[in-house]
Amino acid sequence: MMAMMLDLKYALRQLYKSPKFTVMTLGVLLGGLSIALFTFSFLYTTIYKPLPLPEGETAQRLAVYNDGEFDMLTANEFMAVKQGVSVFSELGVYRDQDVRMSKGEAGRNFFGAAVQAGMFEFSRTKPLAGRTFTALDSLPGAPAVAVISEEMWADEFNRDPQLLGRAIELNGVQTEVVGIMPQGYRFPHIARIWLPLQDNIFDVQAPISEQFNVYIRLKEDVEVAHAEREITQVLRSLQLQNQQSYGMEAVQKQARILTFQMAQTGGEGATVFLFLSAISWVVLLLACINVGNLLLARILEKQKETAIRNALGASSGRLISQLMWEGILITVLGTFLSVCLVGALLDYVNVGLRSWLPGAGLFWWRYGLDGATLMMALVYMLGTLFMAVFLPAWRSTRQDINATLRDGTRGAQSRKAGRLSRILVTTQVFLVALLMLIGSVSALIANKFVNIDLGDDYQNVMSTRYSTPERTYPSAQQRLNLTYALMDEVQNHSAVTHVSVAQWLGPRKVHFSDQEFDQAQTGTEIDTISMIGDFQTTGVRLLEGRLFNRADTADKRKVVIISDSMAQRYWPGESALEQHFVMEIEGNREQVYVVGVVSNLMNPKSLFGRLDSADEIYLSGSQFVQTLQKLSYRILPGTTNAEEIFYRAMYNTAPNLDVTQTVMPAIKNRDKMRESMRFISHLTFATGAFALALAVIGIYGLTANAVAQRTHEIGIRRAVGARDCTIIALFMRQGATQLLIGLGLALLLFSVIAMGFQSFTEGLFPVSAYFVMACLVSIALTLVVLLAVYMPISRAIKLEPSSALRYE
Amino acid sequence: MSALITLENITKSFYTDEIETQALHGINLSINKGEYISLTGQSGCGKSTLLSLLGLLDSPTKGRYMLGDQDVSALSRDQRAAIRSKQIGFVFQSFNLISDLTVEENVMLPLSYQSGISRKVMQAKAQEVLQKVEMGHRTAHFPSQLSGGQQQRVAVARALVNDPAIILADEPTGNLDSKNATAVLTLFDKLHSEGATICMVTHDPASAQRAGRSLEMFDGRLVGDIRNTQAPRPTTQVTADLEAL
Repeated sequence: MMAMMLDLKYALRQLYKSPKFTVMTLGVLLGGLSIALFTFSFLYTTIYKPLPLPEGETAQRLAVYNDGEFDMLTANEFMAVKQGVSVFSELGVYRDQDVRMSKGEAGRNFFGAAVQAGMFEFSRTKPLAGRTFTALDSLPGAPAVAVISEEMWADEFNRDPQLLGRAIELNGVQTEVVGIMPQGYRFPHIARIWLPLQDNIFDVQAPISEQFNVYIRLKEDVEVAHAEREITQVLRSLQLQNQQSYGMEAVQKQARILTFQMAQTGGEGATVFLFLSAISWVVLLLACINVGNLLLARILEKQKETAIRNALGASSGRLISQLMWEGILITVLGTFLSVCLVGALLDYVNVGLRSWLPGAGLFWWRYGLDGATLMMALVYMLGTLFMAVFLPAWRSTRQDINATLRDGTRGAQSRKAGRLSRILVTTQVFLVALLMLIGSVSALIANKFVNIDLGDDYQNVMSTRYSTPERTYPSAQQRLNLTYALMDEVQNHSAVTHVSVAQWLGPRKVHFSDQEFDQAQTGTEIDTISMIGDFQTTGVRLLEGRLFNRADTADKRKVVIISDSMAQRYWPGESALEQHFVMEIEGNREQVYVVGVVSNLMNPKSLFGRLDSADEIYLSGSQFVQTLQKLSYRILPGTTNAEEIFYRAMYNTAPNLDVTQTVMPAIKNRDKMRESMRFISHLTFATGAFALALAVIGIYGLTANAVAQRTHEIGIRRAVGARDCTIIALFMRQGATQLLIGLGLALLLFSVIAMGFQSFTEGLFPVSAYFVMACLVSIALTLVVLLAVYMPISRAIKLEPSSALRYE
Repeated sequence: MSALITLENITKSFYTDEIETQALHGINLSINKGEYISLTGQSGCGKSTLLSLLGLLDSPTKGRYMLGDQDVSALSRDQRAAIRSKQIGFVFQSFNLISDLTVEENVMLPLSYQSGISRKVMQAKAQEVLQKVEMGHRTAHFPSQLSGGQQQRVAVARALVNDPAIILADEPTGNLDSKNATAVLTLFDKLHSEGATICMVTHDPASAQRAGRSLEMFDGRLVGDIRNTQAPRPTTQVTADLEAL
């Protein structure tokens, strides 16, 4: 104990005597640890942390992968699973839904959820006042009821104790408030208000069955894999039945039980977690190498002292612990400071997300220092202690005491130190090159999205989504009439210039009469959009022919409008107007005729490529009537209360309309996407810049250390006739060798990663772009490394050979 | 006999934090070709500094240094390096072999800094001098694998490889036991008997006695220059000493 105290006191004195060393080592470690810890804590809370609810760790969601694509279950599928599988202790469906509360002429939208009775019990949360829903509330014709959040009660009703039992106008319907949920409760996602989901959603046939989120809790003795197998079996049987009964397309179904967080990332959370964590680990590794090197340099300075201590009888263990104290103090202090810094950053993120995101973000996004973060800080600290503190100390005690004590015999130890230094420089170059290469591609992709040309124009455009379910509007004509009425009502407003109703239908199979285009009779998949009204609301311009009109009815020949890219691709050098082809729509093969050509629009297939890399077909929404619609209207600049235009039209035409997305500027979602991408771009750049700074410090430090260790050798070489340029060339050659190995390995690995990027982004960038990036990174890193080698060597050769020979 | 080295009024000063320390005061010295000189004196008297100046490892603060017919007192660093690689051989107390290089590579080092010499020639020359110091069988070893005496013999071989005009030895036996010290001194005797010019710094009076001329220094000045009558020793005794190792 006494010895330990002495060592600790000695280490403290050493650190106090070298403030520059202490501050630099601490700074490097603080940066590396903070990046790694923040990344872990942020991702863990976003993806893996159990839901902040009682028994949150057992609350899960059921999703289905249709042909490998993440999707929600239909009401039809949910009922089949509910009746055919006995693995659940609880299950139910919900969907996010915007709710508009009106107070006289004014109104306000709230994030809400339509839920089944039992959902509140599932979340193990009791209401602050009143009651939650019962099965009776979901019956058709039941009185309209709602449960509101404590925040809404406080903000909108000033905590009125008489609110329960009173009716408020929600979505144009007088609705009785029956319960108030406690503060902070926003289950299942961001809800402020809950409405009962009507039971008649289960009464419709498979082809028109709506999709819902499914929450589940498995029975205690049921394994997830077993449950997934059983559910998959049920879903596949149902799918076969539906194919036979309704001619639905064949789809490979696979059930997946996911956490709420994982489901929210579309099942991709693990990949994101691993990728971003790996980057943060590389940064931490770089920091460890640098700190380890700085400590190693200190330890090597004390090599003779260590040998004397060893000769005087100090055991290896004692020597290691004595050498480690400085590193231990720095690491512990660095970890403590990084925990404080990360805690402050997480608090800032919490506040920032709440003010920036609509609905203040998902309810489990409660970032802050938690047990897992502190545990990971401990793990990182121990890892750093091992890599950056123990290894250098242990290596130092492996010296040949006799050799070190014999004056001037700098044999074996120096060779090993030189080899270690070369390995460390090569490793640094490899890691930094890889970070820079991946970072530059990520930044390029993010930048592409920030500045992406989507081919549309949503300035001064408001949009909303609504549903016209077949249970409410049984015939297509009824749905169409409602849409026309709504559009006319909106269009009547003096501030509205254009109105359209569209729905993204996804890829549809197309067969051309010309076999050349027909991919072995299986058809070509082209993205399809249903459209009614004026294309100008989306910014898509008519280039040739005509737009749809109300005369394009279901009993007339089916007409389509195609994108310019499609016209150029399939009918180059001739007019596409009146050309015809066959489309598979809703299980039928329809012959369609081209009546117009419009400008290209970005779609998921062309998202990573050029605007004209993928085509679009617009179907007439009056010939193929949809149940889900997106209504957009362009307004005159400076129009106030633009969202009221839609709600007034809605109350005049269909007060009970099922609005699934609140009215908002169409540009808002786009801006959010761009801001997210800009944020990712900045984050990637900042991490890359920090890594590069670490590398510059690290490589310079390692090289300077190596040169210092070889000052005596430089003296010898010069004594026997080496010129300055010969010495510089020798060191530069050795630096270049390390650079070539490190950079070469990184480029090799990057070529594999680049192929993955290229495939993932569907050729977003030409292959030459990767070459250019590789060249730029190689040039930048070469300059950095050679400069880092040149600077210390140029300083070292200024010593006269006689002084260099005396150098210790 | 023509002078190989002539020092005229050589002064060397060092500066530490603006404090001047004069290590050499007006040294005048002439060394002839084929001479075997010992340089003695107390620690800190300037022996090693003088040797560094003689070996062009450093420049004098004042005075003139003539190496043969050439004034080398104000040459550039690279010019001095070129002379070192061709005309001067060093043997240090601490051997100063490069740990990363093999015995053969260490010996070849001075030749590698001269242009126009092929690797084959370098290897042949290295092998020749290593045989001379009886280290021809350890060419592929690293310095750390050799004893102190063996390392010093390799250092001597390196000093010989460029056929230098003068061999400068700074306490070459200071790190060796008596047996190895005798062997190294015997080697010097042999080289001298073959015509080499040697200047050796030593603390040991017995070693100094082996040289034909003894210079003594005190406080940065040459205070004695004595011709020894005993040296050099017969060649047969030299061979016997080497074989005894």
